[in-house]
Amino acid sequence: MYTALITGDLEPSATRTQSWFLDHLKSNEALGEKNRAVAVTLNAEVRRQKAALQKELPKLQRLAVKKVKGLSKEELEARPDLVLGLAQRVEEIPDGTALSRRPANGGWAGGPRNEIRIDVMSPDDTLRPEHYAETEESKGFRSEYEYRRDKQDQGLDHIADGLATLKNMAGDINEELDRQVPLIDEIDTKVDQASSDLRSTNKRLKEVVTQMRSSRNFCIDIILLAICLGIAAYLYK
Amino acid sequence: MCGCFVSTLDEFSSGRSRGGGGGMADRQEQKLKDAEKWLKKADKLTKLSFTRWAADWSEATPLYEQAGLVYKTAKLFEKGKHCFEKAAIGQERLSSQWTAAKHLETAGGLAKELEAWPEVADLYKRASEMYMFCGKPQPAADALVRGAKAIEDSVPDDAIRMYLDSCSFLEDDGREQMAFDTYRAATNLYIKQQRYADAASMLLRWGQAADKCKAIQSQCKAYVSAILVYLYNQDLKAAEQCHNDCSQVDAFLNSEQNQLAEKVLQAYRDSDGDEVMYVIKSSKTLPHLDHMIVRLAKQLPVGGLKPVIGPSNDDLDENDLT
Repeated sequence: MYTALITGDLEPSATRTQSWFLDHLKSNEALGEKNRAVAVTLNAEVRRQKAALQKELPKLQRLAVKKVKGLSKEELEARPDLVLGLAQRVEEIPDGTALSRRPANGGWAGGPRNEIRIDVMSPDDTLRPEHYAETEESKGFRSEYEYRRDKQDQGLDHIADGLATLKNMAGDINEELDRQVPLIDEIDTKVDQASSDLRSTNKRLKEVVTQMRSSRNFCIDIILLAICLGIAAYLYK
Repeated sequence: MCGCFVSTLDEFSSGRSRGGGGGMADRQEQKLKDAEKWLKKADKLTKLSFTRWAADWSEATPLYEQAGLVYKTAKLFEKGKHCFEKAAIGQERLSSQWTAAKHLETAGGLAKELEAWPEVADLYKRASEMYMFCGKPQPAADALVRGAKAIEDSVPDDAIRMYLDSCSFLEDDGREQMAFDTYRAATNLYIKQQRYADAASMLLRWGQAADKCKAIQSQCKAYVSAILVYLYNQDLKAAEQCHNDCSQVDAFLNSEQNQLAEKVLQAYRDSDGDEVMYVIKSSKTLPHLDHMIVRLAKQLPVGGLKPVIGPSNDDLDENDLT
């Protein structure tokens, strides 16, 4: 129907409709395009076409109200609405600049909703004396602020006490450890001495014991024992 | 049925314990008899007489030791002390001074139970001499400290002397760090005796020892304690002098303890008793000092705060050009 309207009245607009279709195609392509650079160029192309179309729209609107042969009265009145509908459709073509509506995300969504306005007050405002007067609200704020600040101070005092105790204990531990370092060194040397003495003593003991248990002594012991038994047997026989 | 069963069990156990207790007493009596025997034998071995020209210490000493142990467990202090003393002499003759010193210390402990104070001091001093003879000043100092602790309630002067000797032993040896406990004990004793000037000087000596071994925290604590003791003694001038002297030490100058000292002295200079109490109460470093000092500090300000006659700057008149 749009095409019928436009081609019926304006011959040059034929190319416009073609470009309109192409834009839509292009924008769909851009949405599906993964490559960012290509998407950007496509979007730019779409925007350009959109701007050109929108420029033509006022002309179309003027032409729409013109009387044309062979059209009924209702159709004539409906034409400006059609033009407006076309304008809206052109507007809606996505060209990569539409704001995406994110799902409401607590604090983040709250930010843009509360607008940050700088310099809301006019300079005259500050000159008025009532500007600095206390309201109920500001009194409440102040008292809450002071209450919280006192609470904080209390907590910090508590922490400071604990930290002072910790510092004292750490210092004492430090001194104690310093005191014990030379003692441990002494123990170390003494234990080394004792272990080396022990090792040498063990060695000597081993030598003595092996000497005592040498086979020569065993044989001598056995022979002597045999001789004693022989003598005893002889005596008792 | 259960009740009579339990009652029979009770009788059985009590009978057995009575029997056991009787057995224990018997064993103890037996032991005491043995100890008597050993003691007599050892005495005979050591007593020089016509037939015996040289005392046989090597045999007598173990006997003395055993007898002494038995008497100690049986809490017969007089006999035990006597045995240990003899054992010590024996060990000395056997040239093992270490064991001798140990026996003397045991004897000293027993004498303490007997409350024969001069003997206690004497025994511990002899023990420490033996330790020094062995070339070990540390145990010597320890022995003196133990002795001093034993007699500090009854003969504080002797105790003080022993503490001081112990400190000097350790200082000579260069081991002041071990002396900290001794200084503390000596200071507490002085404070108990209300000899505050001596206590303060002892604290300063402690600070000096701490400085030598770089124990900064102990040093600062000792200095600030000395200042507080002077203030307790109502000697503001001495306190100020002490503060001036101590401020020469960098470590003390930048410490928290110095801040406390300055605040207290400032409050004293302003003759503001409430300020003094407030500073003491709100200080974070005060509770970490020795508890005796904290007790003194909590009682500050003692006596009326006399208005301090500070250096009057009004005398210097601007127009006075002389």
